[in-house]
Amino acid sequence: MKAEQWTRGLVRVISYLVLLFTVCISLVPLLWIVVSSFKSNKAILNTPFALPTDFNFHAYYAVLKMNNFLSNTFNSVLISVTSTLVALLFYALAAYSFAKFDFIGKRILFILFSVTLLIPGHATAQPIFSFINITGLYDTRLALIVVYISAGLAVSLFILRASFMSIPKELDEAAYMESASFWQVFFYINLPLAKAGLATAGILMFLGNWNEFFYGFMLTSSAENRTLPVALQFFTEQFSYNYTQLFAALTLVTLPSIMLYMVAQEQVQQSVVSGGVKG
Amino acid sequence: MYKYNKRWVYLFIVPTLIVFLTFYFVPILTVFTTGFTEWNGFNAPKFIGLANYKMMFFDDNSITVSLINLLKWSLIAAFIHVPFGALVAFIMYKRPVGWRFVRGVFMIPNVIAVSAWAIIYRFIFNDQMGLLNNFIRKLGFSDFHTNWFFDRQYAFSAISLTWVFYAVIVTLLVLSDLMAIPRELHEAATIDGATEAQIHWRINFPLIRGSLGTAVILSVIARITMFEAIFLTTKGGPGNSTYNISVMLYDGIINYQFGYANAVATVMIILGIGVLAITTKVFKMNKSVYN
Repeated sequence: MKAEQWTRGLVRVISYLVLLFTVCISLVPLLWIVVSSFKSNKAILNTPFALPTDFNFHAYYAVLKMNNFLSNTFNSVLISVTSTLVALLFYALAAYSFAKFDFIGKRILFILFSVTLLIPGHATAQPIFSFINITGLYDTRLALIVVYISAGLAVSLFILRASFMSIPKELDEAAYMESASFWQVFFYINLPLAKAGLATAGILMFLGNWNEFFYGFMLTSSAENRTLPVALQFFTEQFSYNYTQLFAALTLVTLPSIMLYMVAQEQVQQSVVSGGVKG
Repeated sequence: MYKYNKRWVYLFIVPTLIVFLTFYFVPILTVFTTGFTEWNGFNAPKFIGLANYKMMFFDDNSITVSLINLLKWSLIAAFIHVPFGALVAFIMYKRPVGWRFVRGVFMIPNVIAVSAWAIIYRFIFNDQMGLLNNFIRKLGFSDFHTNWFFDRQYAFSAISLTWVFYAVIVTLLVLSDLMAIPRELHEAATIDGATEAQIHWRINFPLIRGSLGTAVILSVIARITMFEAIFLTTKGGPGNSTYNISVMLYDGIINYQFGYANAVATVMIILGIGVLAITTKVFKMNKSVYN
């Protein structure tokens, strides 16, 4: 009996140590960045573990005053919001048809759309790069909007189809009886009831777009057209030894994602389980 | 039956179909076919048979290095990353104090931009002001100096450390499977005198194999597409010790070697499908769990 209690206690201690470890590796890097953004360059180098002595936002002012930071922020907001909304509309329309109707070619189309999930993200980069060049969209915000719309196709379709399927067909029939049109039944009855699915898919796509680097980097060339994750890379060169400002910039770029996550924790976690993307 | 115009049903598919054709179907066909050509994007592609593949596998050692790195990273994913995430899930399943907080916090590194994360790690592993070296120096090795990302000996491990323990996706997948296990199964087992270890090993473990398999697939595919963590830290170096297939593809594209880049992309797609097929088999994911 004694031995059993011992092992139980030991398992408990180890469990908490593992949890403590996960909290540390997740928070310490970010806390370090935030704390250092309030320290002088010298303090960052000489007393790396000390807290800031004099609390001020100078570094943040400097970053915000920099030529392109605000336009980069604006780009990120514009591109992520637009592409997410358009994508949500597109995939909600398709998901609705797939969920509630039978039509010729339904199976094959759904399989084709699903298979896109298996294509490793960047494998189609060259044709997309050329497409953007040929259409004259290179180095424009529209290029990124268009590419990001395509990013969440399969996962959003899965999530949205499932939510439309869970809406009882009797509701639609009742509306048709009242001579509602196809569009009205979709827009006024089904779409509002699929709110949870729309939120899950939307947040998943928004976070993906907000954080995207590869295409953002490849499809833009001028500083004012960059998104924040891409601009960050150039800040590191620009600031090279001004760590304080660099850490302030890093804080400003990561903060919105973390805040969105804190507001919508449940949806983000849900979307990971249902979508299982990124990692 | 109510009446509606059937045309609407098709109309609703059209936008998605256009996106599919433009950004998936045509690009994939382009990738597969132009992999057999020499093409710089300005002239018409010239058919050269398997020359790109021959060059890739026999003349240029980048693909060999990339594939070896991928294999090593996949093993790390399958034997450290996924088990660690699953371990955290098993601990959380017991609902210890603060487990919701830990679950919330563990997710944070995954919601911020990978590029920001890579740059943060670039500083953590920096020689002079890096958190890691300062910590080691604090422990008493006061003249310790290593520039982790730029030292041939450590660069590979340094890159691995930027992701190996950040396994929250594995944790969430396994946790949701664990929570779906009917309570009666555990009660029945306890009545029959099963110990906790036996319950884990004989009941829980087989029932979560689906999410374990999914986790392996996702994390290995993430290794194939891993880009920022390398491009923003070591750029594949020193030498090509941390090179991978995504960076290789990127290099091909920006150097306008489109045919070669697409041969690389083809290998990438085949790898992705191969990982899926093998993992599905190993974890028996095509067989129902409850029956």
